[in-house]
Amino acid sequence: MIRATGLSKRFGDARVLDGVDLTVRQGERVALLGLNGAGKTTLMRCLLGLIPFDGGLAVAGLDVRTRGREVRSRLGYVPQRAPHFDGTLEEIVDFFARLRGADPAAVAGGLASLGLDLAEHGRKPVRTLSGGMLQKVLLALALGADVPLLLLDEPTANLDPRARLEFLRALKQVGADTTVLLASHRLTDVAAVADRLLVLHGGAIAFDGSLTDLWRRVGAAQTLWVKLPTGDRDAARRYLEERCRLTALRGNGAALGVKVEHHARADVLVELRGAGFTVEDFWTETPSLHDLLENAMRPPEGA
Amino acid sequence: MSGRTSLFVQRELAGSLRARWFLAYAAIFLLAGVLLTTFGLADSAIHGYRGFAKAFAGLVHLALLFVPLMALFPATAAIAEDRESGALEYVLAQPVTFGEVYAGKWGGVGVAVVLALTVGFGAAGGVAVLRGVPPGLVALLYLFVLLLAMGFVSLGLCFSTIAHSRARATTMGILTWLVLVALGTLGVMVAFVRWGLPASVLIVWSFVNPIEAFRIGVVCAIDPDLSLLGPVGADIVQSLGSGGTVALAGVSLLAWAVVPGLIGWRLFRRVR
Repeated sequence: MIRATGLSKRFGDARVLDGVDLTVRQGERVALLGLNGAGKTTLMRCLLGLIPFDGGLAVAGLDVRTRGREVRSRLGYVPQRAPHFDGTLEEIVDFFARLRGADPAAVAGGLASLGLDLAEHGRKPVRTLSGGMLQKVLLALALGADVPLLLLDEPTANLDPRARLEFLRALKQVGADTTVLLASHRLTDVAAVADRLLVLHGGAIAFDGSLTDLWRRVGAAQTLWVKLPTGDRDAARRYLEERCRLTALRGNGAALGVKVEHHARADVLVELRGAGFTVEDFWTETPSLHDLLENAMRPPEGA
Repeated sequence: MSGRTSLFVQRELAGSLRARWFLAYAAIFLLAGVLLTTFGLADSAIHGYRGFAKAFAGLVHLALLFVPLMALFPATAAIAEDRESGALEYVLAQPVTFGEVYAGKWGGVGVAVVLALTVGFGAAGGVAVLRGVPPGLVALLYLFVLLLAMGFVSLGLCFSTIAHSRARATTMGILTWLVLVALGTLGVMVAFVRWGLPASVLIVWSFVNPIEAFRIGVVCAIDPDLSLLGPVGADIVQSLGSGGTVALAGVSLLAWAVVPGLIGWRLFRRVR
């Protein structure tokens, strides 16, 4: 669906993309990660044909540089911040649906399935709608034309938690054949949507794999909180430190916090149960995506 | 025109006609035009053709004041405002070409301005014809008004392309209009008196300036002997003849209606 070969983009002296090679197959759900300025949005803008670039870039076999309009007719785009439009919601839906060659009724149906009834909100000026409502409108417009590729550029960045969950829920309804490229700063969004992660760093792809692979690579320790009966806490701490060589962090009421790598979380629980401790509850405190990426970008020890 | 371009034309037209200031401006132009023509032409009963010509010249100056600003405001907003709000990037992410978006904006603003001027000028022109002004003259003035408007639409769109905000684009447009006004009759006279520039240079100077080209062309069409032409205008009429002056003024305005818009289109593709 997407093929980039030696994709490069400079802004003045800054080389934002530096010979990116990338292939995304149809139906893949890919998250594009990177620290601020890593080139995520630039890559999206290249895919949309909005900026000139060097190297090769094709979507569905079509060269973005020479067949931009055809490429854009095959993709739906949801930007980070919903733009301000003049006019009512009904007018905007009608205008963009017709521009995309989509049936306005289908877009209205999509909006209804996202919990936004056009009959109720259609006469409202777009400027009065909340950011969450607008993002839903853009998603419905992107989906309305039944496109094979969705480009989502940090679409939940400006949404409140409830709107974000609703947006992610809507995204899960996207057909299995639809390819999704999601740029995001939120680990929860990435985990909910993507089965493949691309980490951009220094203008190139520094990591390509699953979220589990990323955890494994960075070896990032999470804090596993285990709730035990009050009397068992100290004994469980000693057991983990001596037998499992794990550092038991601290107590938090009845819970015990243990630093553990992502893939070894279940082992800790099994060990505790095996030693006769009663695990009443457990939960994981994950590092932020920013911390994870900083770890991922750090060169391996001894390198 | 492609279907997509026509969608942009419709949307831009609707946006312009929704703007209250635009409607207010059109209404003032309508009212002022009708009043000026009605009361100005009453004078022609006493002073004959000269009286009518002077009244009509007032309409010309009203157009010089209103038409450029009426065209500049929506044109300078057309692209810069969308860029500022993020709407432009979203629009360009749709299956459209840069040319379709630009042509749609150009056409939409142009049609809105032409419609508003047609209503305003149509009423004033109607009164003038009823009072005995030759319809051909009214039609010529109308054509020149439209060309002047399209020139400033074209110029405004060009500024809108390069400016990062609507405010900046509008400021650029108004400053340019002020400079063109200043370089008009007053500027030509200063250049003539102070530097003693030859007539050929002053002719070029006058016709390169759309404000001056409009003024000289229309006043010449009304009455080539009219003192309103000014010394340079009179010299031009003497050199080119009445028909030549009007034709050259028309060509100048036509060039202004097209060239800045094409430059804007080139820049639009480059500064995307």
